[in-house]
Amino acid sequence: MAPQQNRRRSVTKTHDRVAQLGWEREYHQPVPIYDTRYVFPETAKDPMKQVMREYLPMQLEKDERVYGGFDAALRASMPQKADERWLEVMKPLILVLVFAEGAAGRCMSVLMDVVPNEELLNGYHVQFVDEVRHIGMQMNLARWYAKNTPDPAGWHNGQEYMANNLITRAGVNMFSHSFTGDPIAAGFTMMTVIETAFTNVAFVALPDVGTRNGDFIQATTYSSVQSDEARHISNGYATMLTMLQKDENVPLIERDLQQAWWTVHSWVDPFVGSIMEYFSTDRSDKENYLQKWDRWIRDDWYRSYVEQLGKMGVNVPPAMFDRARERLVNGLHHKTAPLAYAMWPLNFWKFDPLTQKDFDWFEETSPGWYDEYGATWEAYAALADPAEEALLLGGLLEGAPPMCWSCMLACVIDEDMCHRVCKDAHGEDRTRFYCSPECRWIDESNPGRYTGDRNFFDRHHGKALSELIIESKLIRSDGKTLVGQPHLRTDQMWTIDDIRKCDFTVTSPNITTAEAMGLPSGSWHDPTDPYGAVNGDGNGTAAGRNSFKTMAALADDAVVNPLTEDRVNAAVGSTPWVAL
Amino acid sequence: MAADTRGVGRRARRGDEPERTFQWVVPKGRKASVYEDITLDTQPSVHRFLQNGYFVSFPDGRGTWDDASTALDAMWSAFRDPNELWERPYYQQGAQCEKEIEAAVKGARADGLLADVDPDWVAFLRRDGQVPAFFEHGIWAIATRRSRAALSDVLTHGIVLYAAMKQRQAQALVIEGMDLDEDFGDITIEAAKERWMREEAWQGTRRCVERMGTITDWGELVFVSGMVVEPLLGGLLRRELLLRPALAAADPVTPTVARNAQREGLWWSDFAQAFTRFVLADEAHGEGNRGRLQAWHADWEPEVMAAVDALEPVFDAAPGADFARGRDRVRTDHETLLAAVGMTETAPA
Repeated sequence: MAPQQNRRRSVTKTHDRVAQLGWEREYHQPVPIYDTRYVFPETAKDPMKQVMREYLPMQLEKDERVYGGFDAALRASMPQKADERWLEVMKPLILVLVFAEGAAGRCMSVLMDVVPNEELLNGYHVQFVDEVRHIGMQMNLARWYAKNTPDPAGWHNGQEYMANNLITRAGVNMFSHSFTGDPIAAGFTMMTVIETAFTNVAFVALPDVGTRNGDFIQATTYSSVQSDEARHISNGYATMLTMLQKDENVPLIERDLQQAWWTVHSWVDPFVGSIMEYFSTDRSDKENYLQKWDRWIRDDWYRSYVEQLGKMGVNVPPAMFDRARERLVNGLHHKTAPLAYAMWPLNFWKFDPLTQKDFDWFEETSPGWYDEYGATWEAYAALADPAEEALLLGGLLEGAPPMCWSCMLACVIDEDMCHRVCKDAHGEDRTRFYCSPECRWIDESNPGRYTGDRNFFDRHHGKALSELIIESKLIRSDGKTLVGQPHLRTDQMWTIDDIRKCDFTVTSPNITTAEAMGLPSGSWHDPTDPYGAVNGDGNGTAAGRNSFKTMAALADDAVVNPLTEDRVNAAVGSTPWVAL
Repeated sequence: MAADTRGVGRRARRGDEPERTFQWVVPKGRKASVYEDITLDTQPSVHRFLQNGYFVSFPDGRGTWDDASTALDAMWSAFRDPNELWERPYYQQGAQCEKEIEAAVKGARADGLLADVDPDWVAFLRRDGQVPAFFEHGIWAIATRRSRAALSDVLTHGIVLYAAMKQRQAQALVIEGMDLDEDFGDITIEAAKERWMREEAWQGTRRCVERMGTITDWGELVFVSGMVVEPLLGGLLRRELLLRPALAAADPVTPTVARNAQREGLWWSDFAQAFTRFVLADEAHGEGNRGRLQAWHADWEPEVMAAVDALEPVFDAAPGADFARGRDRVRTDHETLLAAVGMTETAPA
């Protein structure tokens, strides 16, 4: 046998050759369809050196392990053994993460449209292919849960529910930031914040909770996803280092990184924090969400990454980060979870009332929790039986905080709530509420970004809850039982007749709060718009359609706001705002 | 006794529980395939489920997705890849391609087959063997950029995987050059790049690929790449310049590289044909779409044919290559494709 057949090809040499496939265009320059405020240096570095000859078999091997895991989980009777409280919350989690994967892929495409540095493009593209893989694996996981777990209701119409559910549609809003708008800002949102900071929480810490609850197939799937994230994090770092070569990019990075951080925090922390702490039956882990957050986000991301950027001239004020942590300390997810539970008839998964074992765990890991929240959870458990003919939602919605215009979740921290009055498209005054001054800053400094019928309850104000449930198709195939339930039992399941007996009318807290404060209308719903949006539904205007304008052309309209001292101050709270 | 009690309490058959299937999926056939279950509506839109409009818009007013991103109009959520490619079969097929190429190189070395290769063909490989990699890489660059704007998950995934195949094909040619460089010597990517940038015969192809980089309409990209550029120029380069002459020259490696690329090309050809039929069949917009496709064809076909014709000297210097026959074959392929999708009136005279 000839000895040369065993020669190994040098990865570096292979990459060096492959890297020469790019060339300077001479006949036609590429025409972008997106635009950025950033300027690009001459050179960049490919962080991944990924060549398809190595990449394809590697991913195939990983796929084989995951899909083999599905079969193993069935043989091990995992669907019957895993905790049902946990399995239920997989319905919103998996489906919104599938949207996130699609967002990450599309983020790569918008980056490639504007980044001229050939060295970065290959890494971006490989990431998009990775994201197609993640969508396939996670939808297969959803399909597996639907076919095998005890109660599939909710999975059956999952994508439609996910797009319109009051919690997951806020996730759609958040992840849309990563592929809409300035591509580099979008890239930082996805690669630097979502992937570098939060995938450790979502794809490592959360599957650990799943495993403790007997669900090892979720961990199998997401561990495989996370093995790709390491490369995606490298893409983000390479993009950061490339942009830092130009001084004029520094203020943009400082602004965009702060806004991306806040946008991601304001949805991920209450959502993932609630899942991790409220949907686990296993209480063997004594580390609470804040402690995990300190480990993965504060130590591994903020201190090891963001603070280090200071050495390269990027001055990200610590206030945005400290404020986010302070909100967690003040109970951001503990205040959000009861609202999500109370709204069970409008959700597409079931909720299990907390037990004494849960109370003990909360009190042990978050001392003082019971005094603050215990009564609400006891009331929730007491009203789980339809014979009570009462809904916790009735009491909660009446005094509920308004929904935040920017992050679309409830403004649960009283002292952070603020508002402003804006002219709508017809010149009428309307009130926008915000969960925090940071969310207000993000809206103010990005005019036109936030579109659609954003306040969930505005369009349903005055509607019978039963009517809203039917409209939302939240009834099972028997024609009467609700998809969402306030408990896991197979008896005493709520039907639409039980809801009718409660005679509950939906009100929008945005409308009622504005009325109570004597402010202009808090409703941003327009029944004459096809999508119900006063301020535009994102489908453009008759004049605006087919009229792609560059950011430079839009500069006169102040769409791109420079980072100013006032903005920073507003963000960190030194500028007073109108608190409710 | 055990047999009598085994069925007691067993839940109804899974087929009897409607909640165990994804009811939002509108299957093309009687029952949803795995591909449909895992792909459809992973990209929600205001036409599918986003009842409240897009929540995040571009500064110029375009929504998260923009119906005006293509001049074509159709109910995009109804489009399906006829071969139902999703991530798992994609990795299986792609990895298989690379495995076959690796095996071809190892086998050729082990059996001493490289010594039998026609020296004139080796000279051709030194000169032009890797140049088609720039063609494939150039298409990759535009395909991956346009994938985000496509108006359904099926379309986006299709364009991304097409781009990934182009990148694999480009890299496979470069790695082949690297491998053969060890055996024959003096096969460099630098020389190939110089030919791509400066050799007159290649300039039509380079001009065409660079012009593809100016396409802003993803629908145009699918049609022009799949129905015009690939069948004429791609087929000429991969099959007529590389595959056929390599077989005649006893080259044990190049045919494997080219054949795998052609196999992937068939998938994209099917995709583009299905796409063309789909937009032409649209009840409300079919005629308008036909006019748009005809205009794109009329706009691109002459430039692509000019690029084809400019390649004659490259063929003349490749032992075993027959430019006239190759040109006829790709013209016939192109006309056959147009006839298959009902666009015969577009075919050149």
